[in-house]
Amino acid sequence: MNKTEQMLNEGKAILDQLQAPPELENRLRTALIRTTKKRKEKVRLSVKVLIACLVLFLVISFNFETLAYYGKKLAGYDQVMNGTLQQLNNLGKGQLIGKSYTFKNGVQVTLDGVMLDDTQLLAFLTVKDTRGNVDDTDIGLSSLHFKGFYRHYMAVSGQGFINEEKNEEKWQYSFEPPHFYEKKLGFRFSLAQGGQVEEGEIVFELDRREAVGQTLRIAINEVFTAHQEQIKITNLLASPTQTVLEGSIQGPVALAKDYLLGERIRPLTLEISLLANGEEVAELGGGISTNLNGITFHKNFDALPQNLKSLQIIIESFSADHDVRENVILEKGMAAKNIKINGQNIRITKVEEVGENTQVTITSHEGVILSRVKLNVDGQVINLNKTISDDYKKTPEGRIYHTRTLVFSAKGSNLELEIERLTYPERVNHVVEVPIR
Amino acid sequence: MELLDYVDKAKEGDQEALLQLIMAKRDEYYRLAYVYLKNQEDALDALEDMIVIIYEKLGGLKKSQSFYSWSKVILVNCCKRIIKNRRKVVYLDVLPEIADDGLIKNKQHGLEVEEYLQKLNPKHQEVLRLRYLADLEYDTIAQILKIPLGTVKSRISLGLRKLQALVGGEMDE
Repeated sequence: MNKTEQMLNEGKAILDQLQAPPELENRLRTALIRTTKKRKEKVRLSVKVLIACLVLFLVISFNFETLAYYGKKLAGYDQVMNGTLQQLNNLGKGQLIGKSYTFKNGVQVTLDGVMLDDTQLLAFLTVKDTRGNVDDTDIGLSSLHFKGFYRHYMAVSGQGFINEEKNEEKWQYSFEPPHFYEKKLGFRFSLAQGGQVEEGEIVFELDRREAVGQTLRIAINEVFTAHQEQIKITNLLASPTQTVLEGSIQGPVALAKDYLLGERIRPLTLEISLLANGEEVAELGGGISTNLNGITFHKNFDALPQNLKSLQIIIESFSADHDVRENVILEKGMAAKNIKINGQNIRITKVEEVGENTQVTITSHEGVILSRVKLNVDGQVINLNKTISDDYKKTPEGRIYHTRTLVFSAKGSNLELEIERLTYPERVNHVVEVPIR
Repeated sequence: MELLDYVDKAKEGDQEALLQLIMAKRDEYYRLAYVYLKNQEDALDALEDMIVIIYEKLGGLKKSQSFYSWSKVILVNCCKRIIKNRRKVVYLDVLPEIADDGLIKNKQHGLEVEEYLQKLNPKHQEVLRLRYLADLEYDTIAQILKIPLGTVKSRISLGLRKLQALVGGEMDE
């Protein structure tokens, strides 16, 4: 090989090492979203022509079915629908409603359509404000609900998109799924303005034949232990719009017992991922709730792929807040002291008086937080004023240590740190293989 | 799903399909843009411009199987537009220094080829870069540069000979 060839090959080899940066996908997607709106303006005229043609078509052929198919697609929801919902929409799934309500001030709310499966009722709505300040229009998210035969179905989550002219908002809201006997539903919302609340309602009949499809409920009943609690994943619901994992952390009896003993555990985050055919399914949301039935949780993911070959649930970690009530006697200028609470190491490295304050510096693993801590100064309990100088250090083994200084606005000679609550994560790394038939 | 299915879906306005098409060959696109622009930020800008143009003009693409070569032509045009605009904009913070046009001249990697390429006539530089660095076929280069296939071949041959003369040493074609 001569020198020129060698040089060219070398150049190519270096270029071949270049890989598109990970942010490329996001940037391309954003560029496409930005351009969609412009494109829509351009095609507005041709849409008019198309509508005229369709009307003509209708008059001539009375082919209602074909038109109904077109009518079923919801337009303008590209920005708020995820890939799965867009596919369903393109397939013409869902029930078209197209009913509006106009408030006294001219703000118009249109329920364009709904998609229903066993896990959720999705509502697609348009809010129009010709005055151009739709972003200030509050249609009462907290009160948004469907009124059924005897109960209400509340909104669980939602996302919206405001156009550039600020005269139109498109929203997609997820609601609890209505019971099987519900037929007539009232979609209720309110508009708050100038201290007054005006309520609006759109009534429609739910057509279950238009529901997006069957939901598969798979019993998982997998139990694992974290934070000395038995955590159970009870079900996996695979619906055409999403996949939901349901489970419980504490039953009602255990919850009541801990409450009485003052050893309550407050779950904070449960990190679970779902792998379908080895690829991570996008997480859409989730929640943990405590009520008379104990502590339950749900995690929502995108719908599962069509050609499902394998499905794994990976429980990564569980982080919770515990009542601990540990008191530690401190002395100004004392040597570093290690304490262990619920198996978590906390090192008190420095206790000093700075001005009118007492400062306590501690180090712990990342994620371990003294979530309620006080300092008893000469018999007086002082609340934590602030935490300063956050510092994270990574050891060669990959553990991350967090050092910070707690500032209490008092000084004195008898010091006692009162740790009432402690938050810490526990790695679980438990894999559940879901059998696929 | 086959390439043509994706192209057809993208033609119908399916943004996700278009995105998948580009992402499937993201490194190729990125390297092509990098050959021209020599930095990540501009290369990403060029790719953004490209996807928007493709989205707007894809309806007019008659042969779906030519999607990749067609889109590369668009990418190169986007890169050239950025270079042109770059010449018009002079950033104050780079004014005191002489702009280093050769980021590919990665000193750590000891890449010599750029030093020599830059001494060639721009027309020869471009064909050699497209052929040997971006690894494009002759006909794709012809489409990108809007010149006949024969011209591509002769420019490459002449360019190689000039490069050879600069480098010194033997040359076998």
